[in-house]
Order: sequence, then structure tokens, then C-alpha cells
Amino acid sequence: MSVRRSPQAALAVLLAALAAPWALAHHAEPPALDFTPPPPGSYVLHRIMPAPEGRIVGLDGRVERLSRYTRGQITLLGFIYTTCVDPQGCPLAYQVFDALKEAIEATPRLHGKVRFVTLSFDPARDTPDVMRHYAGSRAVEGKGLRWYFLTTRSARELMPIVDGFGQDVVVAYDRSSGQPRRELSHVLKVFLIDPAGDVREVYSSMFLHPQMVLNDIETLLLEEAEAR
Amino acid sequence: MRPSPGAATLILAGAAFAAQADETCNSPYIAKLIKGQEDFVYVWTLGVEGVGDGSDKLVTVDVNPKSKRYGKVVHTVSTGARVEAHHMGFTDDRRRIWAGGLADNRIWVFDIATDPAKPRIVQTISDLGDKSGWLGPHTYYAMPNRMLVQALSNTKDKGGRTGMALYNNQGKFIASYAMPTAHGGDGYGYDLAVNPAKNVLLTSSFTGYANYMRPIGELMKDGEAMKKFGATMAVWDLKAMKPTQVFSVPGAPLEIRWSLKPGDNWAVTAAALTSKLWLVRQEGKAWVAKEVGTIGDPAKIPLPVDISITRDGKGLWVNTFMDGKTRYFDMSNPEAPKQTYEKVTGKQVNMISQSWDGKRVYITSSLLANWDKGGDDNEQFLRGFEWNGKELAQKFEVDFNKEKLGRAHHMKLGAKGLAGG
Repeated sequence: MSVRRSPQAALAVLLAALAAPWALAHHAEPPALDFTPPPPGSYVLHRIMPAPEGRIVGLDGRVERLSRYTRGQITLLGFIYTTCVDPQGCPLAYQVFDALKEAIEATPRLHGKVRFVTLSFDPARDTPDVMRHYAGSRAVEGKGLRWYFLTTRSARELMPIVDGFGQDVVVAYDRSSGQPRRELSHVLKVFLIDPAGDVREVYSSMFLHPQMVLNDIETLLLEEAEAR
Repeated sequence: MRPSPGAATLILAGAAFAAQADETCNSPYIAKLIKGQEDFVYVWTLGVEGVGDGSDKLVTVDVNPKSKRYGKVVHTVSTGARVEAHHMGFTDDRRRIWAGGLADNRIWVFDIATDPAKPRIVQTISDLGDKSGWLGPHTYYAMPNRMLVQALSNTKDKGGRTGMALYNNQGKFIASYAMPTAHGGDGYGYDLAVNPAKNVLLTSSFTGYANYMRPIGELMKDGEAMKKFGATMAVWDLKAMKPTQVFSVPGAPLEIRWSLKPGDNWAVTAAALTSKLWLVRQEGKAWVAKEVGTIGDPAKIPLPVDISITRDGKGLWVNTFMDGKTRYFDMSNPEAPKQTYEKVTGKQVNMISQSWDGKRVYITSSLLANWDKGGDDNEQFLRGFEWNGKELAQKFEVDFNKEKLGRAHHMKLGAKGLAGG
């Protein structure tokens, strides 16, 4: 007898596993969710803005249009830089993406519906080779979900994308010397983009929880099904 | 400064900002905190006919004690309109201020990132009434990439029925939400404040254009009109943007302040007409609202108009317009606030804002053009104070009458380098 497991159930099992002590060596504990989120389809995800266009570089070094990775499927996109260590920043996003990846892979009906995009805002250091190393096995096509790791060739090509998403990035300067302090600050934002390329939700660290994102993905899929 | 698109590299390392509360009373989604000394106070100022250019304007005052221009107006930018300028709010990236008036539906967007000392108007949004039917935008509350605007009235009858409108940061209208009228809701609105950790949006209620634009003396003699004030607060499911509970809170509950202390689950507000402090708190899974304190002598109608909570949730400043007093309440037990200090800080006082560390407190004077006092009592000012935990000591004053600026109302703090550097 086979047992069909809902993505929420798969996620619950996964989160329980992530909370186990052995797992914490590799994963930060997910943020606590101190409320019951509204069920999928019981709310509207408005079209906030179109995802911006731009030129990006994939792990193979090819320059492509960003829209190739933000249209045609539900896309979860987050900015990172590979040296980021703030627990409320890139590592949190990574950990949530990991949890979602496993939940989606455990749910056949979600296969082929969702992609992840991790885009660096450190073109100087995050070359395709560095991104490949950072991605590790995540960049390998998984069971029903692709995770793309992208970078850009220059700040000139990056900044319109960053600005277009409203992803604020601040380079800190040493007040005494006026020189950059090799430091960058950003507010964590993760973007949920529908197949038409419209941003439908923007998660800050306070709302970036696998359960919330999964409910939103389900809501978009329900909307898509109703439109057919 | 911001890296230019032409910069060869971005030089990285370091930490991300945790998106937490701004200096005590702003949206928790606002990215950047001023944890040290602020450089500027931006004052959203009502134009007065025959005074200066007569226009509503954003006035920038230098408030850094180390500056040669400390306590001086360093910049003004006029809107060219006079529409009962009232409140304003930062976008989540703190690069822009949205500001509007209660007599109109226009929203002016100021760029404060390019030069924080010289804000400039970069956009005027004018479709609020057409798109939502609401009138008199009041609260501008930053959400990620969006601005949630709470209005006070509506274009149809200019009464108190109103709602919220959601825009993206580019000024494009997204959606509107009517204030609840079922389950005890009166449909009125005033302030809104979010607690993301609880997925809760809390709203309060005031009155409509037909009342707030009338002279106060005339209004208070009109018994029917005085019945048309908000008497509710509502709890919303933030994610779904649906009201889930409505509380009876008589007397026009105004500004809402969540305790910023991690783990706290309460917000406080002051009811203007009854002069009461109300606590909204989660008990079990439900939320409750309870009257927890009195501000001055309610029989004298001191009219509490603004409150400011300390970052640790242990203290609350309350300004009462009629007696010109600034009061401090010990909120260690939010169920029983205790007043520990008071001082007359003006002949009429309205807004009160504090620095993140609580050591500096700023006060302005104007409530509404037709509700401000007359004659010599119509002081119009921004006053800066230092607070040592025992005494408010005034350090500077900008006399808005003398400077021919207008009526000083809402304040926001600014700093050089917030946009990078």
C-alpha cells in the first residue's frame, strides 16, 4: 500500500529532522512560526511588480537573460554572496531553500512546477567557479526541481537587477579613510515569482519560513488551476 | 553613498541587516536603524495662508549637536499645495518618504537617500481616491517592497468609513481593504501597526473628513457629529489581510505601538476622547483589549494625541494636546502603566518622537489646522530635548511661526550615510 504524503506533511517531517541535534551541524534551526498560517487558496497574492530583466551568467559561464530563469515556472529567487555569514541573512535563506527543496521533491505533484534561483550580488568574487563550489550537489538536477546558481559579469550588470527587485545593498565605508571596508549590508529578501514573471510575495527574515513559502506556492498553483 | 553601476567591483563581507524595528515607532520592515546620533529631523509641515509661501512642506532640521547648524532649518521643500499635511512614512529601504494630507488624496514621495540634508520630491501619487474610494491618507506603513496606506475617510460621503490601500514602492496601486463593519466594526480607521512574528496587523479608528476638517469648537457643540468618532480596534490576519477580531475601544483610539522587546506580545494605544491607555495583548490564541490606565484628568479632556514607546517596551511617552504636557509612563507591567514624570513642553503639543537610545526626544505642536489653538497659544515649533531618565531638558527650538514655515506636525529621523557609507 502506498501512502500519499502532502507537502505540508513532508515539510513537517523535514523540519523535525532539521531540529535534531545531528542536523544542526549542517543546518541552522528554522525560525519558529508563532502562528498558524492561513491555508493555501484562502488568500490572494497580489501582483506586486514585474521581475526585472537583466543579464546573468550561469555556472557554465554563458551570459543569458535573467527572464529565462523567472518565467514559465513558479520561481523562488534570493540574493546571496558566498562569504555571507550573518545567520539572519544568506544562511537563513539557504536553509529555507534546502527545507523546501526536500519537501517539494517528496511531493510528486509539485515536480516541474517550481525552480529556485540563487543570484550572487558579489560579481567580483562569486565567479561561476566559486558559485559551482558553493552550490555543490544542489546545482545537480534533482527530483522534480532545478536549483540555478547565477552570477553577473560586473556591478554594472548587477545593479539594475538589484535595484529592480528593490533589494537594498549598502557598501560600508571607513569614515576616516573613505575607503570601502570590505563590508556589505543587505536586508534579506526572497522573491516568489509567478510563471508570468510577476513578483507575488517578498519575504523578509521575519516571514521567510518554509511553511509560509509552501502555502504560497500552493496558492499560486490553485490560482493557475482555477484559471484553466 | 551608493555604489555606482559603473563601479568595477562590489567589495563585500560582513553582516546583513536584520530587519527589526526602526527607532521605536516605525514599521519593523524598515531596513536601517539609526542607533547612534541622528543628523536630521524631517518635519512634515502644514502650510498656512499668508505665512511664507503658504504651502505644505517638508522641513529639514539639523539635530546633530556637533554640527555648526545644530537646531537650525537647513532645507525646505514645498509641495505647492495646502492639503492639511499630516503624517509620513519611510519605504522599507528607507530611501524615500511618503507624505500626504488629510484634505486631499495626493501623496508626495521624497527622495532622502541622494542627499539626506536636501530631500526632494520625485513623485506625486494621485490615484488613491479613484482606485480605492478612500480619502485622507494618514499612516504610511512600510511592507517589503510595498507601502500600506491607512486612510481616514472616503470620497463618497466624507464620513468615517474608510480603509487601507496597498501600493508598491514605485507608486503603483495594488489593492484596497475596507475597515471591518461586521462583528462590531464601525468601519473607521486611523493607525495601523504590524507584528510579523504573530502575523498580526492591528488597526485603530478616528473620524472622517466631515469632522476633522471642522473647527474644533463648532464640532464639540454638535452632538450628532461627536457620535461619529471611531470606537474600535481590529486584529487582522496580516498574511491574508482579513480582519479576525474587533474590539470595543471607546473614544477614538489613535497611535498604535507594539512593544519591541523580543517575545513580548502586546501593543498599546491611547484613546483621545476618553484619555485612556488601552492594552492589546495575546492571551492564549486570542487577542484581548483592555483599559489599563488613565492619562491626566479625563474630565478635563487633555486629549492624548501621540505616544512613543521605548525600544525595550518599558516606557511610554504621551503627549496631551490641550494642557501641553509630555508624560512618561512606566510600562514594566503593561497591565498597569504608572505615570512617573510630566512636564509642560508647550502651550499645545502633538507629536513626540525619540531616538533609538531614548536619550533624545523631539516634540512638535500642531494637531490639525482647525483644531490648533488661537492667538498666543498657537505656538508652532519643533523642540529638541535630552532625557536623562529623570528630566527633559530642552536643547533647541525652531519657531515655525517666526521662520514662516507653518504648523509643525509629523517627524521622522534622518542620518547621513544611511544609503551607504
